[in-house]
Parts: sequence; C-alpha cells; structure tokens
Amino acid sequence: MTSAAIKLDRVSKTFDGRVLAVDSVTLDIAAGEFFSLLGPSGCGKTTSLRMIAGFEHPDSGRVHVGGNDITDLPVHRRDMGMVFQSYALFPHRTVAENVAFGLRMREVPKPEIERRVAAALAQVALTGFETRKPGQLSGGQQQRVALARALVVEPPVLLCDEPLGALDRKLRQQMQFELKELQKRLGVTLVFVTHDQEEALAMSDRIAVMNRGKVEQVGTPTEIYERPRTRFVADFIGEINILEVGSSLTALRPEKIRLVAPAGARLAGTVETANYLGGSTLLRVRPATGPSMLVRETHAGERASRMPGDAVGLAWNDTDTVSLEG
Amino acid sequence: MSVARNRRPFDAGRAAYLALNALLLAFLLLPIVIVLVFALNPTPYISFPPVGVSLRWFEKFFTSAEFMNALWLSLWVATVVLVLSIVIGAACALALARGNLPGRAVLTAFFMSPLMVPAILTGLALFQAYLLSGIGRPVWGLIAAHTLVAVPYVIRTTLAVLHNFDRRIEEAAAVLGASPTRVFFEVTLPLIRPGVFAGGVFAFIVSFDQFPVSLFLVVPKGETLPVVLFNYMKFDLDGAIAAASMVSILLALSVVLVLERLIGLKAYVKL
Repeated sequence: MTSAAIKLDRVSKTFDGRVLAVDSVTLDIAAGEFFSLLGPSGCGKTTSLRMIAGFEHPDSGRVHVGGNDITDLPVHRRDMGMVFQSYALFPHRTVAENVAFGLRMREVPKPEIERRVAAALAQVALTGFETRKPGQLSGGQQQRVALARALVVEPPVLLCDEPLGALDRKLRQQMQFELKELQKRLGVTLVFVTHDQEEALAMSDRIAVMNRGKVEQVGTPTEIYERPRTRFVADFIGEINILEVGSSLTALRPEKIRLVAPAGARLAGTVETANYLGGSTLLRVRPATGPSMLVRETHAGERASRMPGDAVGLAWNDTDTVSLEG
Repeated sequence: MSVARNRRPFDAGRAAYLALNALLLAFLLLPIVIVLVFALNPTPYISFPPVGVSLRWFEKFFTSAEFMNALWLSLWVATVVLVLSIVIGAACALALARGNLPGRAVLTAFFMSPLMVPAILTGLALFQAYLLSGIGRPVWGLIAAHTLVAVPYVIRTTLAVLHNFDRRIEEAAAVLGASPTRVFFEVTLPLIRPGVFAGGVFAFIVSFDQFPVSLFLVVPKGETLPVVLFNYMKFDLDGAIAAASMVSILLALSVVLVLERLIGLKAYVKL
C-alpha cells in the first residue's frame, strides 16, 4: 500500500461568517505517519479533518496530498479512507456489501471484489459475518466493518474522526492496539481526531494540540507531555502544576515531585486529599502560601506513604520544570 | 395459578387501558362490520336485522358498467397520483430538509397548505381556475388536483425520515468514491424509501377515496367511484353501495399490504 504525505498550508475556515473554526493552520504530516489532532470540542480538529476529506472547502489556504493540490477536488475523487464515530455503515446493506462499496465505485472486477472483501474482513477478524446487517453487530464489530470498508480500497490516507469514541473503555483500549498495529502493518498515513489525550499519547507518532482554531504545539507524545510549550497544552494533557514566578510560568508534572521531610524542603505544606489510583496515589498538598500542588506518588505497597492531614515537604529537580509561553 | 395471581394482582389502571383500547377498536371497526352485513343482506333496501346472506349486491356492482368504469378510472387515477406524489413529494421533502433554502418554515407551511384548506374549497377553486383558463375538465386535470392534495402526505412522511437521517452515511459513500448522483441512488434513496412509500400509501388512498375535489372536476361518463356512489345514493339506497364500499376497503387494504410486503413499511419505524 502506498501512503501519501499531507500538507495543510495556512488553511482557514469560518462558519456562518462568524466563528473562525480553523485559523490559518499549517501542518506537515509525513507519509505513513500516525498523526493525531487533539483538542477540546470546538477547537477546529474535526473541521481540519473535514477539509482534508473535502467535506469543507477552506476559505483560504491550500490542502496538498502526495504533493498534489487537492483543495478544489471533490470528495469522491480524493481516494481516501474515512472512519466516523457513528460508524456510518450503510444500514440497508450487508457487511460484505458495505465493504465492497468502494471497490464497486472503482469498477473493480467482481471476482477481485470478492477476494479483497474476504481479505479485508479477515484482517479485522470478521470472517463469517458477511451476510449480517450492521444493525445485527455490536459497536466494536461495526467499527471494524467501517475500518475494513475504508481500508479495502487501499487508500494512501486514512482519516479517523473520533472512531473509538462510542466504545466502552475496555473495547476502546483493545481497538487502540488493533488500529495502531494495522496502521503500522499497512503503512497508511493516518490522521486521527480525538479529544482524549490518553488515546492520542498512546497511539500517535506525532500530535497536534489544537485550541480555538489554532495549532498550539506539534510534537511526539513525549515532547507534548514532557515539554508542553504553552499553558493550554500543559493543562490539557494530564495533570500538571503551574507555578507562577513573577511574570513567568513554569510547569511541573506531579510525578516529578518527591515527598520529603518538611524541614528544609523547597515547599512545605499539608496533605489535603489523597486520591488512590491503583498503582499510584494523587495527593493534593496545600502549602503555607500559594496554590495547592498535585503530587503523584507511585507506591510498591498498598497505599501512599502520606495521609490527609500529614505535614509534608516537596522536592524536585530544576531540570524537570518546563517554562511555558503563556 | 394462585401463585401467578398473587404476583400479579388485579390492576384497575391496566384494565381501564385495555377497555379503552377495545372501545376505540370497536369504534373504528364496527362501521365496517355493519357495511359488510348490509352488503351481504339480500333485501332490496337497507334494513336490520339481516334476513340472510347473498352475493347479489356484489354481483350487481361487478356487472354494472357504470360502477366498473368508475372503479377502473379511480384505480387508474389513484395509481398515477401515487407515482406523481412520491416523486414530487420526495423531491420537495429533500429540498426542504437539505436545500438550505431561505424561509424554510414558510415554504414547508406552503407545501403543507393543501391539508389545511377544506378539500371542497380546493375543488371549487380548481374548477373555476380550469374553466377560466379554458382547460376544461380533462382527466389529467383531475389527476393534478388529486396530486395537489396527496403530495403533503408524502412530504410529511419523507421529512420524518430525513429528520433522523445520519448524513455521515452519505459522506462515507462519497469518500469511498461515489459521485453525488451515485450517493443519492445508492444511499439516500434506499434509506428514505420507507418514508416515501408510507406517504405513497396515503396518497393512493386520498385519491381513491377523494370525493369533494373530484365532485367539481369529473365530467359525465368520466366519474370516479366515490362520485358515482354519491349519485347512485341520491336515488337508490340498496346493498350495492355497501358492496362497493367493501370493495373499496379491500382494495385500499391490499395496496397497503402489497407495499408492506414489497418495501417493508415497518422499516419506517426503525429509521
């Protein structure tokens, strides 16, 4: 399967002449990359994806795929795969007919359609479900049919709009592994829209964090988590402490903080609450002055070493702090 | 038994609910039973209680050239009205639901207005319009009038389906390479079909049953069944009317059943 690079070049989109849904977004997505657009609802991630798909036409800026400017190409001639949160299967067609649809539109000969549909269904472990209707399948099965339907045409680009959002947590995690594994095996360029930061961190090669129509930061999951550039990114991804020193902002992850004796510590305070999370506990510590601090203590034993009400000192290395742009 | 009775004590609310339903059903079905009784009763006038069972009124109905011509005309008109109103109604509904038209609420009200106007006024207005414009009273004029009254039913049922339509399904087809025309025929049309045909059933029955509009627009020797029955009743009130009514009911019922079989009107509920 060939994969294609995608370039959004200063793309903007306004709806109803009012809200700037996407504000001059530039993104370079490499061929074969698992790329996530991450942000809260209304941040412009879905609109960006829909402009790549061709459902929305940018007000300004260009969209390139595989080196070609496709900004003015209609949806049905873009040769992409897409998976929707609502699955969007054809309810009046069987599983096999759903998967065959794209091949039929491409006028692939019938024997080849049958062969490729069977292979695609095998790929998502749905052999034997050919004659079922989508309504007879579970959510996870429907999403696998949607995946097979999108991938059977061997698109150079696969677009996913919150594809796992409707699944329960356990199934979601399993599908994350499956999707990631499939993407690597096929080498397809995958653009993945999600508001779930854990999902984005777990699956992506790179992530673009979006806020109010703009890209705040692009980077690998590690870069995004360990070295957030803006306050928004730091806040949006995981738990974080933001320290205001004068006019500058510094971020510090809760797991970088060590619990020490109060005397001589950088910061001393009292444990307010302790949220047990299984292998670790998230403690909220209120210092004598300033805002509360979150501290994550990973413990080998059954519980954290400190209880609410305990006096505690906090320590961290300066190399673990990140200064933010604002 | 006693255990079951203990577990489910007499429920006054439920009994009242069932009684009300039974009453409603009786109210709806009893007239049909009465018509059937009269249709089978051989006395030459409508009387009760019936004195026997005979098919003489059905025979009279089916052997009367006047009744038969009217029946065929009505069936033919209703079939053309069915086809026209599903095409026009579905197109209107799609335009109203999808067209991003300015003043959509006003347009919807406009298309639905034949339902608000008393049919007798529609008939009179069309009669005058046809005469003034020199059209006269051709059959196609009658068909156009029936279609006018029938289209809102198709619009309404189709809009109901479109209201719950997940447009991502169409988008998915487009991404997979379907041009807008193919998306329409491969996805949109099959998915709205149950709503369109449910409206089509109404359209057929509205036309087949149509009296007030037809009254003004038929010509002598070219009258539809309801008009012929009305004229007949003015002079004779015998079982032939009841037999004709039974035939009408059975024809309407069979249209519903055939469409149900072919298209599955039940799917309408699922969408």
